[in-house]
Amino acid sequence: MTRIQLAASALAVSLGYYLGANLGLILRFPPATPSVMWPPNAILTATLLLVPPRRWWIYLLAALPAHLVAELGIIGEWPLVLGLFVTNCSEALIAAVLIRQFSDAPGRFDTLHRVVAFVVGGGILAPFLSSFLDAGLVASLRGESYGAVWRARFFSNVLTELSLVPAVAICVTTAPAWFRRASWRRQAEAVLLGVMLLGFGIVLFTTAGLAAIPGLPRSALPFLLPLLLWAAVRFGPGGANLGLLLTVLVAIWAVTHGHGPFVDLPPRESIPALQVLLSVIAIPLMCLAALIEERYRAEQALADRLRFEELLSRLSAAFVHLPSHEMDQAFETWLERLGESLSLNRLTLLRVVENGHDGQSVTVAHRWSAPDAPAVPESSAAAVSNGADWRRLLRDEPLPAPGKSDLVIPLVAAGRILGGLILDAVSVSQRPATARLPELRLVAEVFAGALARKETEDALRASEVMKSAILTSLNTGVAVLDREGRIIAMNDGWMRLTREEGALVDAGVDTNYLQVCRARAREGVPAAGDALAGTQEVLARSRPSFAFEYVAGAPPAERWFAMAVLPLNRPEGGAVVSQTDVTERKRAEADAQRNRQELAHFTRVSAMGELTASLAHELSQPLSGILTNAQAAQRFLNMTPPNLVELRDILGDIVDDNKRAAEVIHGLRDLLRKRELSREPIELNELIHDVVRILGSDAVIRNVTCTLELHPASLLVVGDRVQLQQVVLNLVLNAMEAMVDCNAADRTVVVRTDIELDAIHVAIQDAGPGLAEGAEQRIFEPFYTTKPAGMGMGLSIARSIIHAHGGLIWATRNAQRGATFHLALPATTSVPT
Amino acid sequence: MKEAATVFIVDDDPSIRRSLERLVRSDGYQVQVFVSARQFLERADLKKPDCLVVDVRMPGQSGLDLQQVLETAGSTVPIIFITGHADGPLAEQALRAGAVELLAKPFDGEVLLAAVRRAIGRRS
Repeated sequence: MTRIQLAASALAVSLGYYLGANLGLILRFPPATPSVMWPPNAILTATLLLVPPRRWWIYLLAALPAHLVAELGIIGEWPLVLGLFVTNCSEALIAAVLIRQFSDAPGRFDTLHRVVAFVVGGGILAPFLSSFLDAGLVASLRGESYGAVWRARFFSNVLTELSLVPAVAICVTTAPAWFRRASWRRQAEAVLLGVMLLGFGIVLFTTAGLAAIPGLPRSALPFLLPLLLWAAVRFGPGGANLGLLLTVLVAIWAVTHGHGPFVDLPPRESIPALQVLLSVIAIPLMCLAALIEERYRAEQALADRLRFEELLSRLSAAFVHLPSHEMDQAFETWLERLGESLSLNRLTLLRVVENGHDGQSVTVAHRWSAPDAPAVPESSAAAVSNGADWRRLLRDEPLPAPGKSDLVIPLVAAGRILGGLILDAVSVSQRPATARLPELRLVAEVFAGALARKETEDALRASEVMKSAILTSLNTGVAVLDREGRIIAMNDGWMRLTREEGALVDAGVDTNYLQVCRARAREGVPAAGDALAGTQEVLARSRPSFAFEYVAGAPPAERWFAMAVLPLNRPEGGAVVSQTDVTERKRAEADAQRNRQELAHFTRVSAMGELTASLAHELSQPLSGILTNAQAAQRFLNMTPPNLVELRDILGDIVDDNKRAAEVIHGLRDLLRKRELSREPIELNELIHDVVRILGSDAVIRNVTCTLELHPASLLVVGDRVQLQQVVLNLVLNAMEAMVDCNAADRTVVVRTDIELDAIHVAIQDAGPGLAEGAEQRIFEPFYTTKPAGMGMGLSIARSIIHAHGGLIWATRNAQRGATFHLALPATTSVPT
Repeated sequence: MKEAATVFIVDDDPSIRRSLERLVRSDGYQVQVFVSARQFLERADLKKPDCLVVDVRMPGQSGLDLQQVLETAGSTVPIIFITGHADGPLAEQALRAGAVELLAKPFDGEVLLAAVRRAIGRRS
């Protein structure tokens, strides 16, 4: 309440007090001081009921000037006027304190409890107590009879309090709103009722004729009862109290103007009689109106509750079997229905969404606004949109955040917050939404359950979609068989392999796979018989799995397939048959096999060739000598006489030559070293290319990459091509073998060539385990080996060959891992012709 | 008795040298042996031999070098080459230069003697 509003209300009270006092002074029978009806006290009482006690002094102070202005002119005695103000205030204060003590809503008169608290506290006790003060004051200052003054004031003030306080309170609080919102028929009915009360009252009270009809009551008041009951039944406490006030005013006006209802009594007696009679009518009438109102409210609440429960059951039914893809539409529809049926301004549904690695966030999923909703800010939804900490917003308890215009109810299922329901804290019907909280909690429960189910179903569908995508994208053909061998499902790969590539067996869903295999086997397809037998065994669970490879089609267009049959893990049995085209792998294997054979042959041939050449050379000398000597000996023996001297010499030479030949054979390894080298120009880069090409398939099998970093110039050395080739081959093979235990990604052999002054440098680098400390020298010694099946001759021979070429061979350990073998050979600039 | 024909043998291998000397001598020829082409050129009376048996591959001057020197000097003595390698280009070269025969070690002694007889017969 602003200061201006406060001042205006204080001024209104002051004015009301002044007008009431004047009205009271008019309705007075001189010379008695008390009036028939004294409104100022009732106006003050109504004020104190409606404003908080801490502001009471303002309104009491505001009433003082009105009291002085109204009474000084008529009474003229300062002490009495001020004293009367005190007694008036005391009555209002006693009434307000007592009513506030016993009523849960002091300004309202719509339950029996509130009416009784008002009637006892304000209607009877306050006038009763304050009248002692008033009577004492008037008796002592004016000398009037104490008892007469007390009695006159008590009855007058009881009537005033009863008829005026509720009427004033209702006129100030609920009546204007009622009149605004009521239909024109109700407005008309209210106006008609008022006019009838006024008209009938005037007619009845002023018509003396009524009293002349024998047997009728001598008062006209009972004739107004039907109208008052009409007002109570049709308009509740408001109608009853305003009707009552009108009746009281008309009756007092009539009495003070010498008309009914007690025409045959003198005023001194007829006035108390009227006051008692009106008070006695007022009390049951007010109680009746309150009871009617209470009952009406209870009925309303019951109907409201029934309507809500029906809504809730329909809501639950709507969501219980709803497929998740229809749920969004259902949320839209039901937010609207709920909003309308609960008379809300706005409803917003929030959803907590998983953001992968970011965790969770909240988005506005659905929103509904009443078409005529006032534009109040949606602070909670706005906070969500602005990325505020939603966890603080969606707490376990739905509480209106302070300073927020809305209320957030969390949607919780299985202990997890899935979202929230935001609504305006003030509904269209001006009823606070907090009153709807228990109902809204039930709605939130249904929504939360639906959201949880939707989440589960969406996750399930996503996983099914993914599985299906994986199956479809496979190159492998997959068919699922039931226990009898009937195909119950297959992927695209199966159709492709069987239709386009000739794999076993071209059969669609619902075909019996075993029967088709049997038919193909009878046609003479051997793989079909194998597939049939294996699959039958897996279906019968007599073997855990079955796998085999078969070829289809004729060379060179034949294709290889790998088939695997696995049991289907389910009670009904069945099997999964998968087939993969392994033609590429088979061809690579065949190529590798062929290359290995070529390589072995090449190595064998070159070694044999070398050995044979050496042997031939080394052995031909002694053999020639032996043969020639032997033939000479024959000739000497044939002479006559035989030349025995020559024979002895010859035999000695033959023995020597034989020893020489034996030495050659004993020293085979030495022969390798000693044999003569062919000397021809060799381009080393070309030689390395040849070696790497020979080893190509070997590298593929071992999954090793060979990287060549060759010097762009032509690198010429003079030497034995075959031997140098053997050295490089040996070193590259060693490098590949060293990486057998490495990660596939690391398996790289790097061969580098470079030229420095007149030396050509070749480096062969691997990423294997490297050399042991100090092994750099020993590896070149004969019989030194790190390989389980190695002879330990390779590097030793390599060293012999390189030395024979005037070169050097050595090994280093790499900075990171692995070893590098280096060759240095003298470069030749000119090509010998 | 007619003086026997003379055969000179040049070979660095002592065993082969001696065995050849015996074989040729057993057929009734005069034989002189030399350990190298150089020794032969220094010491031999080039007018004397009726036939030369020469190892192709020797340290220093080879058999082919020797053949060239003799040809330059105007000698017409027939030459029989013996070699450890029966490789074609070498034989071709030797025969083109006027060699009577090229024998690959180890060779049949009778074949050598036949070649010697043929060479001496051609010369006389």
